[in-house]
Order: sequence, then structure tokens, then C-alpha cells
Amino acid sequence: MRSGEVGLERNDDGYTVVAINGEHDLNTAPGLRSHLQQLIADGDPVVVDLSTATFIDSSILGTLLQASRDAGEAGVGFAVAQADGAEAVTRVLEITGLRKDLPVHSSRDEASAEALRATGDPG
Amino acid sequence: MSADLDLRLPARAENVIVIRQAMAGLAEAAGMDARRVADLKTVVTEACNNVVLHAYEEGEGPIEVSAEIGGDGLEVTVRDEGRGFHPSAADAGASLGIGLPLIAALSDSFAIRGGAGQGTSLSARFALVPSELERGEPQPAGDELRMQVSPGQLVRPVLARILGALAARAEFSFDRLSDTMLLGDAVSHRRADDFREGRVEIAINDGDGTLDIRVGPLAEGAGERILSGLDIPGEGGSLRALARTVEVERRNDSEYLLLEVAG
Repeated sequence: MRSGEVGLERNDDGYTVVAINGEHDLNTAPGLRSHLQQLIADGDPVVVDLSTATFIDSSILGTLLQASRDAGEAGVGFAVAQADGAEAVTRVLEITGLRKDLPVHSSRDEASAEALRATGDPG
Repeated sequence: MSADLDLRLPARAENVIVIRQAMAGLAEAAGMDARRVADLKTVVTEACNNVVLHAYEEGEGPIEVSAEIGGDGLEVTVRDEGRGFHPSAADAGASLGIGLPLIAALSDSFAIRGGAGQGTSLSARFALVPSELERGEPQPAGDELRMQVSPGQLVRPVLARILGALAARAEFSFDRLSDTMLLGDAVSHRRADDFREGRVEIAINDGDGTLDIRVGPLAEGAGERILSGLDIPGEGGSLRALARTVEVERRNDSEYLLLEVAG
């Protein structure tokens, strides 16, 4: 997967991992938003994995926060994972307070457990 | 000092990564450490996003980026020829309106210049080495936010957005947020000659449910003038009561106004 691309991995446990690879910004935000909206509309629990992201900007943060809200309203599980942190990604998550607000889990396993737990549990 | 890097590109989303990578390459070559390069990339990206999203209402225009390395720092300037700086909630869109607070938080200092119909330029400075700390100059806190803005109409929207974001992060109540914005407005309306360098300089530290705001360096006597400006004529009241503490401090032959507000 090249930088700026999004990988979709359907898991046997019934959730989809959206892997954010490389650098993502205003230019790639619409594609990411489209993937997330489709998964939420289909009722698929979503885990967004930032572990291989090397850069994200405020448009990506806004996209993730909106998806989190949309998923919550739809009763679809949504969670974010960051097992390893690129400096630029870690810094913006911490400074904006979104590590706590999204929240961001420190492993894909933790995030998937949260996504599966929250599915069918609106609000 | 001439610019070490000049870029001019169409203000399109796909060009932002080009600018970001160019700046990262320059900064790494100049010896900036990885953490600061990451900060620089975020600041440059957010400044460019503002141009791409907001500068040109119709059609397309250029984005110009220049960078200068001098002394112990790198200064980057992002310019447009657009409609001027008009931050608003409606403009924030999917970016959450956090671009400017990110710029403020991650740069060592920043300045915005421009006006309606004149285009806008945003400059941000980054130390190449932690020389300010090594020199032992007053450093209230490593996470301090520092802003410099030209006096005039830019001060209020910039300060309001920053105070609003910080107060929200500190979970201020709505009433205390309103009080904080009133104090910010009062400071925003000061004259250029109240500030020693002719530029509005404000530093903010957010702590445990509080914001410590330092205004200055100020011209001689300006601290007291700002305090007097907080008094409400004929009512016997003062906006000073909105802050937990208000004081004028002298340090290194300069005057500073210190405000502490609590949520």
C-alpha cells in the first residue's frame, strides 16, 4: 500500500479495519470520508488504524471525529487504533485532545473489541 | 536576508503535500530535529489548507511559500492573493476550526498579516536548536502558546479562536468561557503603541482548569492603561473581576500584563 492510500481489511469477526498509510491531508480526506460513510451505512463495525500513518492534518481529524459521531448515531461500532506512533500523528492527537475524545486505543485488538461492543449500542 | 526557499503553486489540495515535503527537506538539511520537523510539517500544512479552502472564493489563485534560515531559527511564510483573513465557524467545516490553534501551539511564534482584499500572509518561526532554553531566558512552560499579530482587526478573531479552543479544552463552563472572551476582547482593542515592538504579543499557558495569559512586552505604563480600560465607566465595576488574578509585572526591563482565568 502506498503513502496516501487507505487499506480496507474485512475481519472474520465481523469488523472492517481501515488502515491509514503514509501521509493524509486535505487531498485524501474525501476518499477516507467516503469509505467510512459507506461502512457505517452498511452497518459494519469500523476500526481505523493509524499505526502506519506518518502524517495527518486537521481535515483527517475532522473526518474521524465526524465518522465517530455518525457511527454512534447509527449504532455502529467505531474505534481508532494507534499501536505505533509517527511523531507528527501523535503530536496532533495529543495537542487537540482527540486521543482522549475519539478515543484512540493503543492496539488494534483493543480497538476492535470496542467497535464490536459498541455495535448495536447507540449513543 | 533572502529566502532560502521560494515556492509558488496553484492553491490546490494536491499541492499541499509538495509544499510540506519541501519544507521538511529544508528543515532536515538545516539540522532541525525530527520532533520539530513534524511540528513544522503540521504548521505549514494547516497554513496551506487555509489558503486552499478559504483564500479564493471563485476560481483559483496561487499559494506562495518562502522559508528563511537565519541565526538559530527557520521562518516560513505562506501567502495568498485572496480575499483576506475571515475565520468563522461556517468556514471551519470538517477541519474542526483547529488549524489556527495547531499553528499557534506547534510554532515558537507566529504572525498573520493582511486585510480584506489584500491577501493574507502567515509566518511561523521554529528554533533549530533549543537555544532559548539553553540561554536561560524566562520560559514559563514548555507548552506555552505564543502569538504575535499586527495591531488592528486581526487581533480579535485570532485571539478569540485561540482562547475559545483553549477554554473548551480546559472544560470551562459557558459563563466562564464568555468571561474569558470578554477579557480577550478588551485586550484586543489596545493601540499599537501600547506594545513595545508595535506588535501585539500574547502568551497563554493552560493548566489545571485555568488559563494564564501574559500580554506583552508592553510600552512603559501600558499595563496600567489596559487595566484602566477594563473599568466600566459610571458603573463602578470592572472586567478585572472576571479574572481570578490581574497584575502588571516588570521583568527584564519590560512590562507585562498577567491575567489568570479559571473555568
